[in-house]
Amino acid sequence: MSSVHVSVRAGGEHYALPVEDVLEVAEIGHVTPVPGAGPAVLGVRNLRGQVIPVIDLTVLLGVRAQRPPEQILVAEESGRCAGLAVDSVTDVGMVDEPTEAADSRYLRGATFVEGALVGIVDLHATLDALVEGGTT
Amino acid sequence: MNDPTPDITEMVRAEAGDALERIEATLLALEGGSAHPDAIDAMFRDAHSIKGTASMVGWTGVAAIARAMEDRLEACRERGRFETELADPMLRATDALRRALAGDAEAAAAVADELGDADAAAVTPSARSRPAEPAPTADRADAGLGKRRVAAAPGTPPRGVEGRAIRVAAEKIDRMLDAVGETVLHHRRLEHELGQRVLADGESLAEEELDLGERLLGELQDSVIEMRTLPLSSITAGYPRAVRDIAAADGKQVELVITGAETQLDRVILEGISDTITHLLRNAVAHGIESPDARQAAGKPRSGRIELRAEQREGMVAIEVADDGRGVSAELLASATDAESLTDLLTRPGFSTAAKVSDLAGRGVGLDAVKRNVEHLGGSLEVRSEPGQGANVIVLLPLTLALLRVLMCERGGQVFGVPLAGVREVVAVTDTVSMGGRPLLALRGMSVALSDLAAVMGASSPPLPPSPTAIVLALAGRVAAVQCDRVLGDQEVVMKSLGPLLAEVAGYLGAAILGDGRLVLILDPNHLLKTQAASPPPVRQSTGPGTHEAPNVLVVDDQFTVRELQRSILETAGYRVETAINGREALERIGRPPDVDMVLTDIQMPEMNGFELLKAIRRQPDRASLPVVIVTSLGAEEDRRRGAEEGADAYMAKDEFDQHTLLETVGRLVGR
Repeated sequence: MSSVHVSVRAGGEHYALPVEDVLEVAEIGHVTPVPGAGPAVLGVRNLRGQVIPVIDLTVLLGVRAQRPPEQILVAEESGRCAGLAVDSVTDVGMVDEPTEAADSRYLRGATFVEGALVGIVDLHATLDALVEGGTT
Repeated sequence: MNDPTPDITEMVRAEAGDALERIEATLLALEGGSAHPDAIDAMFRDAHSIKGTASMVGWTGVAAIARAMEDRLEACRERGRFETELADPMLRATDALRRALAGDAEAAAAVADELGDADAAAVTPSARSRPAEPAPTADRADAGLGKRRVAAAPGTPPRGVEGRAIRVAAEKIDRMLDAVGETVLHHRRLEHELGQRVLADGESLAEEELDLGERLLGELQDSVIEMRTLPLSSITAGYPRAVRDIAAADGKQVELVITGAETQLDRVILEGISDTITHLLRNAVAHGIESPDARQAAGKPRSGRIELRAEQREGMVAIEVADDGRGVSAELLASATDAESLTDLLTRPGFSTAAKVSDLAGRGVGLDAVKRNVEHLGGSLEVRSEPGQGANVIVLLPLTLALLRVLMCERGGQVFGVPLAGVREVVAVTDTVSMGGRPLLALRGMSVALSDLAAVMGASSPPLPPSPTAIVLALAGRVAAVQCDRVLGDQEVVMKSLGPLLAEVAGYLGAAILGDGRLVLILDPNHLLKTQAASPPPVRQSTGPGTHEAPNVLVVDDQFTVRELQRSILETAGYRVETAINGREALERIGRPPDVDMVLTDIQMPEMNGFELLKAIRRQPDRASLPVVIVTSLGAEEDRRRGAEEGADAYMAKDEFDQHTLLETVGRLVGR
């Protein structure tokens, strides 16, 4: 089984989210830091009058960031909306169901796309991490 | 058989509801012995008109109760007096009538025995509120009722709306308010950008257009806010009755006096505060007011008095519930300290002032829940009480949830907003002392706990500058100061929630969008004060001599920060300082005693600018020699010349403004 995913690059690695989770892709824009909100929260951003938190995927996934994120994936899950900061969005296309296990609680698993390993982001767990303060 | 159209029934319902409220108020007044001589006639007419219109739309149950009331009132009219014993059954009848209007079939039968009306008893449930005859046409209803009325929503308790009204979903108005708010902010930014340049060039046409734009936007904003505001009276109508009933059940006599019922509040706040006020009234009756015998023994009138007062106070609405009851115990008052005020003690979860938990007040939530509710609405709560002297609960609420006035401050390169409702003043930190290793700010004979804003919020920031600025916060009797790099000014913002994902992060009320689209975090003053709770309490020191004779300086500026900075400098030097936010307000103040000894004014201000103020002062023969100093950001020679022409005594540019120059100039003019 394969389905449409939005593929991104974060900390130089490949990740993907099911397209149903993604509302839009936007530039990173101006992010206002929120002191006390935990290391995974880059801050909040104004998106057409909406205040959305911006999450640093590299912090959550334990990847070393190689450059400042340039884009955000605006994702929504049961009324909770957040921007996932990434290096860049690389592709929108068919991605297979995860075949490999991943050792991060924020990934549902991983799969090979054209020879490269792609982690499938678990949006629910990612947003939960934010509520809990997101340190790991 | 046609049903009356929903519009007509709503009109009838609203009309009957109003008449019902009038009857109820009159009954309560009669019981208290303070009714008009023609009170019986007025009630009779109202009962009669309810009966008439209800019959017209076929509500036989409603009509039957109204008729029973009408009959009893008719009898009173013939006897020429209203027996007080009749008040109770009549009040119960008004309750039944209200239920019947809401569609309760049993209401008519319930009241029948009481008022002894055979017809009312004969009304069966099936006969209720179904039209028994063809519906009147809209024309006829208009003619009959004289005016059109539309109630808030079908099935809700009737509340009249005068004139023509349309129903709009509340969220549509909320969205409109948001948009207007953003537009106002945008205009301010534009004005700021253009204003400087335009004024400097002496171009008055563009200035006039900007002023016009501001005025028009202000009107637009006011009217949209007004759409969402209602008078407090829209929720207080039932209070006198509720207080009477609760007191009667407790064997007490209590009179409720409401003042300021016309005070306007945001609908959302009104809805949120309604239960809270009921709760405070309930508390006052059950915990506050003593039994008639106990009151007499204490040398008080047998009947207790509760006052519900509302008024606008500095951009907020203050709602006070004051009783003349027993007040808090001396022991409790003694255990209140500056660190834990009486308000803190009473709002501690589970706290109650009752010696025994009375049936009525034991139920429901305590003051802790009241406080949470008020804070949730962006307000604050304070309790004042003296043993034997009663208690006074003061609820401060914002006028509207749509716009928030915040003080912008900067710490570590980031800008934060602090709601002005929680800010008492802004001072330059020059004098700090230390107690138990904690820094304190010395402030006009008080010492106030002082901390770094970055530390309180958990931000990692570079050290504070050598002479930082402190924002002194005061809420519910608690005072503390937080330091920041600098204060940028105050402005009105539209606040938005940070959303569910960041709801758990402590210390933020939300975020506001600035003119350039960036977000600024709005800090919760309660959090800033709470994190300082462990700090030593404010210590009062003796005030210096000569304060009384000190010259009185009026500081006029539309910017909170500028006013507070000047106030702080002048007060530290021993002057008395009053402030005004524009020329018009200043002129009003100058016209009143006690005399103002000198005026320090900005030029660019809404409504009446500094030059206009100066001109107006000089036109008054007895104020021709009142010293006026112009302080402005416009360093242009043109303004200096114009200021001198209009008769200013001195001119200071804000960019070369410093404490020394200010004190020297003021000292030279009023000699100190």
